[in-house]
Amino acid sequence: MPPVVNKTKCNKCGICIANCPMDVLHSAANGFPDVRYPEECWHCNSCKLDCAAGAIHLRIPLPAMLLYTAAPGVSPSTTGANKGRSPE
Amino acid sequence: MIAIDGKPVSCDVLVIGGGIAGLMASIAAADAGAKVVVAEKANSKRSGCGATGNDHFKCYIPEVHGDDLAPIIRQMNESQTGGLLDTHLTVLFLKECFDRVKDWDSWGIPMRPHGTWEFTGHAIPGRPKLSLKYAGAEQKLVLTREALKRGVVIMNKLPISELITNQRGEVIGAIGISVAEQKPEMKIFRAKNVVVTTGNTSRLYPPRTAGWMFNTANCPACTGTGRIASYKAGAKLVNIDVPYTHAGPKYFSRCGKATWTGIIKDLSGKPVGPFATKPSKDGDVTADIWNGVFAAKNKTGQAVFMDCSEASEEDLEYMFWGLRHEGDTSLVEAMQTDGIELRKHMVEFQQYEPILVGRGIQINERGETNVPGLYAAGDDIGNFRADIGGACVFGHIAGRNAAARSATMHGVENAEDSPLVEEKRAFYSQMMEREHGASWKEANVAVQCLMNDYCGLEVRSEVLFATGLEYISRLKQKAHSSLKCSDSHELMRCLEALDLIEIGELVMLAARERKETRGKHVRIDHPYTNLLYDNKFITVQNVEGKPRIEWRDRT
Repeated sequence: MPPVVNKTKCNKCGICIANCPMDVLHSAANGFPDVRYPEECWHCNSCKLDCAAGAIHLRIPLPAMLLYTAAPGVSPSTTGANKGRSPE
Repeated sequence: MIAIDGKPVSCDVLVIGGGIAGLMASIAAADAGAKVVVAEKANSKRSGCGATGNDHFKCYIPEVHGDDLAPIIRQMNESQTGGLLDTHLTVLFLKECFDRVKDWDSWGIPMRPHGTWEFTGHAIPGRPKLSLKYAGAEQKLVLTREALKRGVVIMNKLPISELITNQRGEVIGAIGISVAEQKPEMKIFRAKNVVVTTGNTSRLYPPRTAGWMFNTANCPACTGTGRIASYKAGAKLVNIDVPYTHAGPKYFSRCGKATWTGIIKDLSGKPVGPFATKPSKDGDVTADIWNGVFAAKNKTGQAVFMDCSEASEEDLEYMFWGLRHEGDTSLVEAMQTDGIELRKHMVEFQQYEPILVGRGIQINERGETNVPGLYAAGDDIGNFRADIGGACVFGHIAGRNAAARSATMHGVENAEDSPLVEEKRAFYSQMMEREHGASWKEANVAVQCLMNDYCGLEVRSEVLFATGLEYISRLKQKAHSSLKCSDSHELMRCLEALDLIEIGELVMLAARERKETRGKHVRIDHPYTNLLYDNKFITVQNVEGKPRIEWRDRT
């Protein structure tokens, strides 16, 4: 579940690097966070939650994909965003 | 040679681990007048199982539950976190938990976010509901602030690797390694008392997603360091023989299954358990009562799902609110990204790999171990368990007692003069300087394979324990003589892997001693549950360098 850094939004505050419980993020020479150990990400979302600039999000790696299927009595649908279920 | 900070850090109470239990211990110790240092591997604001929140706090509130403790104690023992609790610690927990709930609420962690004391989820029909629903998303930030406010010194990026004892067998300090920079630096701590709160033990068994070792429901930075360091210092470990497994969304390992408000069903839509057919805020307690439901169904070729499609709007909103506070925003966002709509889709659930929680260090009602100067609390302990609530309550108990003992002592001892310091310095340097050798991942994968095959969930036996112990001992030697690391991060991971091998060996020893089947400890050579072993715990203690295994009555 590695973090993905949007360099156009990142203000190099370093909070994501400081807070990551898995020591995944380190300071790169250019001051941006370097996702040095992407396979050690725990998908806790601390980096995203603590980023004031909204510059970081998680990419869920393939082994951790959610397994889901049509609920009983519903025909399968795999399109469309999860409407009205934003996490606030 | 690895660098070593020539100035030891001195304090009254050293807390190892800045999680829920550790921060509570530091707060209580500071309130009692002690000079407190917390050594935290990562950052106390987001470390441990409490990282981005929890939404259930085990607790008893007299004005809600009544004054009769008997049904409460019974429910504590028979709940998901029960089975291996010393009764006197349960009674103590019940006496103090409401005070801690009120503390948290006053500090800014909303414990009755919807106005009343709310108990939803983990609800067994006809039984007292003991899981207080709360809003824990910012709990680590709040507790960190409360500790700092009291003058606690929090040293982040500082994993502890060893406890230091004096010649009288008292704990007088610890060895830590700063991982703040690429190059590691050893730091020595002198303390009058130490509180060990390093959490659960994850990464001991193979993850459900092969090779993806940090995809775990509980914090994967927690690898049993507290247990092993305490064991080496002479503390008894207890209850490490019977496995505990959690459950949740398949392949996307995360806690919070009791936050989902749907029903557990098979592919055809038939509820798997008899407890609920329609979604509600209490969800489906099948997974609590029949903890092995997912594995049992998988073994018969079935898939088991969480179906929220019939949940009301209100229940779904409640669930998403709960998932946020449970620390599951990544799960919710992953569902959005994938276009999963809980009105249309059901998510498959599975049993997760074993972890050690409520299986570990033995304490008394002061949070003390049998080693003078050594205390423990939280998921690290073995004769009581109540997850977040337990960590909060016993963290406080251990912290204030460690402070009280500190007040009777005159000063710290020169922990840096212990021969252990130079011994470890040489060993860490060897790993850093080695030109060719094994990576920490090799050691971690190797121990997971052995634990799965020789001390796993499917079948245990004398033959498997005997051979497994021989192999794990050999792995220990090979790991010690071949592990290499090139920076502080890798050194930290190497030490974690070594701790896992050590704790794995002790788990095998304790499990071999239990010659019966009980819970998920399934002995093909002793397939019955022996009532003579009811309420009997197994302890493991380092006596003159050898593990001593004993039985004792539950107290």
